[in-house]
Amino acid sequence: MLTRPRLIPCLLLDRDRLVKTVAFRRPRYLGDPLNAARIFNDKAADELMVLDITATDEGRPPNLALIGQLASECFMPLTYGGGIGELTQIRAILRLGVEKVVLGTAAAERPGLLAQAAATFGAQSLCVAIDVRRRLLGGEAVTVRRGRRIIARDAVAWARRLAGEGAGEILLTRIEREGGMQGYDLDLVARVAAAVEIPVIAHGGAGRQEHLAEAILRAGAAGAAAGSLFVYQGRHRAVLLSYVNDADFARLFPPAALPAGSG
Amino acid sequence: MIGVVDYGLSNVGAILNMLKKLGVPALASDRAEALERSEKLILPGVGAFDAAMARLRELDLLAFLERRVRREGVPFLGICLGMQVLAEASAEGGMAGLGWIAGRNVRLRRDGGARVPHMGWSDVALTADEPLFRHLPANSSRFYFVHSYCLEPADPACIVARCGYGGGFVAAVRLDNIRGVQFHPEKSHRFGLALLGNFAARC
Amino acid sequence: MTSAVARPYQVCVRCVMDTSDPAIAFDERGVCNHCRGYDAALARLPPPGERPAALASLLDRIRRRGRGRDYDCVLGLSGGVDSTFLALKAKQWGLRPLAVHFDSGWNSEIAVGNIERTVKRLGFDLITEVCDWPEMRDLQRAYLKASVLDADVPQDHAFIAVLFRAAARAGIGTILSGHNLQTELVLPDDWVHAPGDWINLRAIHRAHGQAPLRRFPVMSLFERLWRERVQGIRFERPLSLIDYDQKTAMAEIAAELGWVYYGGKHWESVFTRFFQTYYLPRKFGIDKRRAHLANLVAAGQVTRDQALAELGRNLGAGDEPADVANYVRKKLGFDEEELARIMAAPRRSHHGFATWDGYRRPLLRLRRLLGGETRAA
Repeated sequence: MLTRPRLIPCLLLDRDRLVKTVAFRRPRYLGDPLNAARIFNDKAADELMVLDITATDEGRPPNLALIGQLASECFMPLTYGGGIGELTQIRAILRLGVEKVVLGTAAAERPGLLAQAAATFGAQSLCVAIDVRRRLLGGEAVTVRRGRRIIARDAVAWARRLAGEGAGEILLTRIEREGGMQGYDLDLVARVAAAVEIPVIAHGGAGRQEHLAEAILRAGAAGAAAGSLFVYQGRHRAVLLSYVNDADFARLFPPAALPAGSG
Repeated sequence: MIGVVDYGLSNVGAILNMLKKLGVPALASDRAEALERSEKLILPGVGAFDAAMARLRELDLLAFLERRVRREGVPFLGICLGMQVLAEASAEGGMAGLGWIAGRNVRLRRDGGARVPHMGWSDVALTADEPLFRHLPANSSRFYFVHSYCLEPADPACIVARCGYGGGFVAAVRLDNIRGVQFHPEKSHRFGLALLGNFAARC
Repeated sequence: MTSAVARPYQVCVRCVMDTSDPAIAFDERGVCNHCRGYDAALARLPPPGERPAALASLLDRIRRRGRGRDYDCVLGLSGGVDSTFLALKAKQWGLRPLAVHFDSGWNSEIAVGNIERTVKRLGFDLITEVCDWPEMRDLQRAYLKASVLDADVPQDHAFIAVLFRAAARAGIGTILSGHNLQTELVLPDDWVHAPGDWINLRAIHRAHGQAPLRRFPVMSLFERLWRERVQGIRFERPLSLIDYDQKTAMAEIAAELGWVYYGGKHWESVFTRFFQTYYLPRKFGIDKRRAHLANLVAAGQVTRDQALAELGRNLGAGDEPADVANYVRKKLGFDEEELARIMAAPRRSHHGFATWDGYRRPLLRLRRLLGGETRAA
């Protein structure tokens, strides 16, 4: 038996405001992050991810007061990322009751931080964000700083490297698909998941519950993170939080389909 | 008043938050005097077996726990490492555990491709009639786990819950007023809330 | 608010309204003015035999106004029983609503789940107006610091403004309202402040707010009049014309739409729940359930004994009321001491701040002249 497939609402913060982007652009205001955390907790979401997408750009450290408040409403594992660049910040965030932190830009721009953090806090506390997009003249690019700076040209190699440095899991985002609700980049997910031992979480593109199952059952992701799917409703993309209820979960992940009868 | 033993080996905040949400008075402390007036005790813990036992000894809590829980019969709930220290020893370390429940801790098996540490949500099969699990579905409850070792009790009569991960292990034990759960109720939303609520109200 | 004159306790012999409404008046039989008001309102409706025809012509009106457009009405969905039941009826009546949800930042999960199930099962399109949370928080903090009675005005005011503006943007001429006589008529003047009073809202904000109110939807009576009379956006209230029984309605929407009850009237919003179970009763001695139950008694939907038994039950019973107060404190940024100070501070009247009294009568007269209802919501 393995662990249950992970379906993870992924919320984006601009300071203390919840927003949703499309391909990392055009942020749209969604409301209060604290109430969103409370609602997902009441929906029994098995974990929650919160990413501050402007902290690094604006040179802001993580907002510990807000993170503490979010942690106090989450009675399930909470993962936080955004603006983390120091060991002391990681310690402070984990102390607030956050389960894992996400290193994005820092994993590329602060060599040694990931390995040090893994040695200090354990790999299981560390998630790394790998954001992938197409290059102008073809091929893929691994980027940081919200897609603006290319730091590698091979997602699989980069993933292997970070796993080797001590990452406990990978948040793999296909930038062009984010907010598009047309499905994940299953090829990308499959390639990276096959290349590393650590869990890979697919992100960017989920538009239907079936996409979540595809990422996990077909592409080998350990988890599927989604923004639009869990915050929008209907053709006008009305802001309305949702999750996957028990009945739908059982339909998407029938026991027979799961490896070695996981649950 | 529930006393949460804060011996520095885990984040008691989440447990306190959950008890607060349940409206159950609670306090966290590393001092026996402060924990003296609590009617029930919770021992959390994340990390290594030896580190836990060493800390409890350093803080002079062993005698306190022995008296309050074993002699005076105060209801006790060990969470994660707090359950593992109930045993006599662990394959993870060299120190002796509390020895309240005969048995030792062993490394999780990796049957069926299971990875260690076991991290994530898994289904738990619950024994009926155990007040800690009242109103929780016996066969479709799930909880959040983070661990590499598990307790193997000498007497199977004290097993009150099992998990099938990695070939199977004991997820919860009970001996009179002493209970231990390998999972984290404070991270298991509605299942954890129900369980801690039961601990506060029925145990 | 009328100052509380020490009068002996008295409760209506017919409904359950009592002297916690300081303006209550009893006739020689001991029947209160709310009962008489209910009877009068009932008498103004078409007689029962004519109601189906009245409903049919109301629906025709809506369809006619909406012909050729994507939607013929706007329907505010809160996740509560009235709007959910209305949505079900709208579908059955063949209307084509645009569902509008106002997210004040206080949605309970049950409300959100109810809205999701409702629009999915009925196949309705939905839009959400998301309130700027920092502004809503500042405004609600201002009301609590002002120590006035109706701290729920910010949500109530914004909701109406949002419905009108959504209708205007989408070119829709009808706002379908779930407001009904059977459960919502009885409401002492001293227990509320008119949510439409934008002047009072701005005055309280000016006195106690800390940030400018820019994105928050403030709608003046001028704007309302403009939208009603010039843009032609009308409220229609069909539920009063049908046999609306709240208990049966709850059972029906539970069965048809998977609707879940959240324990108390208007508890879809966690703030409203705090307001009605904590703030109002403890600070002002008002239990709004009394008005709601009195209405149900007058409508014959519960007996007086059942209503009295219900009132005997603890307010906020069901969940964890301490958790609700804690959460409200957390969201509004008050620590325990500050909240305690707010609760203990002397009550202030809304009339201690500027109100719309100067404008209202002339504007309502103008409204009547332009051909409309005499009620301002």
